[in-house]
Amino acid sequence: MLNVYESVDANIRKSWLVIAGFVVFVAISIYFLAGALGYFYGYQFSGLSLAGFAMLISGITGFASYYYSDQIILSISNARQVEKRSFFQFYTVTENLCMVARIPMPRLYVIEDTAMNAFATGRDPRHAVICATTGLLANLNRTELEGVIGHELSHVSNYDTRLMSLVTVLLGLITLLADWLLRASFFGRSGSDRDNDRGSFGPVLLIAGLLLALLSPIIAQLIQLAISRRREFLADANSVKFTRQPGGLISALKKIALDKEPLEAANKATAHLYISNPLKNHQDSIGWFAGLFNTHPPVEDRIKILQQMA
Amino acid sequence: MILPIIIIVGLVLYAVGVYNFLATAKTRIGASIQEIGNQLKRQSELIPNLEDSAKGYLKHETNIIKLLADARKSVDSAIASGDLNKMATAGEKVAGLLPKIQVVMESNPQIKGAEVITRLMDELRDTSDKVMYARRTLIDLTADYNVRLVTFPSNIVANLLNFKSEKGLETASSGEHLTVSGSDMKTPRVSI
Repeated sequence: MLNVYESVDANIRKSWLVIAGFVVFVAISIYFLAGALGYFYGYQFSGLSLAGFAMLISGITGFASYYYSDQIILSISNARQVEKRSFFQFYTVTENLCMVARIPMPRLYVIEDTAMNAFATGRDPRHAVICATTGLLANLNRTELEGVIGHELSHVSNYDTRLMSLVTVLLGLITLLADWLLRASFFGRSGSDRDNDRGSFGPVLLIAGLLLALLSPIIAQLIQLAISRRREFLADANSVKFTRQPGGLISALKKIALDKEPLEAANKATAHLYISNPLKNHQDSIGWFAGLFNTHPPVEDRIKILQQMA
Repeated sequence: MILPIIIIVGLVLYAVGVYNFLATAKTRIGASIQEIGNQLKRQSELIPNLEDSAKGYLKHETNIIKLLADARKSVDSAIASGDLNKMATAGEKVAGLLPKIQVVMESNPQIKGAEVITRLMDELRDTSDKVMYARRTLIDLTADYNVRLVTFPSNIVANLLNFKSEKGLETASSGEHLTVSGSDMKTPRVSI
């Protein structure tokens, strides 16, 4: 049994643990991948400079998608901006929760879709965007809507877009390096300084590198998903901290879970932003293993935790 | 030689950090108190206006309904009396009403009563939410500030710099709101 404050603190702590684990894993992977690349290309044109190159590529694409996150996603999702007059509840609920979350009012958008969902994006609270489907706004009452908007505003005030972008950049870096290493291993060694291998350490690096080349992209992606799920729990807890009405978010989540309609405007790249998985591709029968690949924790777990806060 | 310097610089930086946090929080607590006043003022200006405009709308509609009811009554009583003359005057009365009703209906094509009341209730809920969230901001800020005052090691810096705990939303620490009486346990009834 955790109360709201403890739940928020616990989630922040666990979130940092997962992120630290991710960073450590990335560092170790880069060490071995770069070492093995060095084995193929020679140490003068060393693996680490290749790692720098990979960082540059992954960083530029990642930064672009981070910096323009609001514009890119809104244009893919076909959203239109709303004003207070036409969406009174949506607008005023956001206005009130921003006061207590102590962030500026984000821009509000709606997607014309009967599926029930909402997401937040933008590089920082000043450029934040909250987007909801018309289906969500039509089916939730004010208390339920407060729960959902509180969840989204928590993503905004916790800089979750920034965090997930950084994680994606590191994931891209590892994937690139692994890919290059696998290609290099097809063509064999070409380095000019074959003779000054690092003694017997070379083959160890090579084997570890090749093994990591196969495994690290998947492992890194699994950790990325774990971070994403942890941030969802944190956003739920924060939402209750703002509204002090867990019942609202619980009943909103129940309604959203009952709605089996997938959201047409969403795809795999934007799925982690939404309040619940918009693709509705749950495979409950496979259970635990399928859970590893989900961007969102199961709704039943989220509701169970929220009920403890009530 | 270098280590003590690093430690001292670190401690000073920490103390500066704590001082700045406390000073910022204190200013924000002041601002959040003003915000409560601001929201209350908004509420006191908004509600009478909303009430007036809602009453205006409803009066308009009550007029239509009253005109219709009057016409129906006179027709009914004329029919009941069986007097042809009365029936004729009642018919004339109704005919005379029609243009009036038309004018009212044309200027006001839908009966908007329900919508007006819904809107009024939405605004009422929103304005009391706003005041409530303004108070919660004060409570949250004060809690963040006071936690730093009592937890280690920031409490040392706070004591040295003579920061005092903030009261936040002043609530009586004893009284009826901490006890549950028999009448509180009954389910409230709403009468309209």
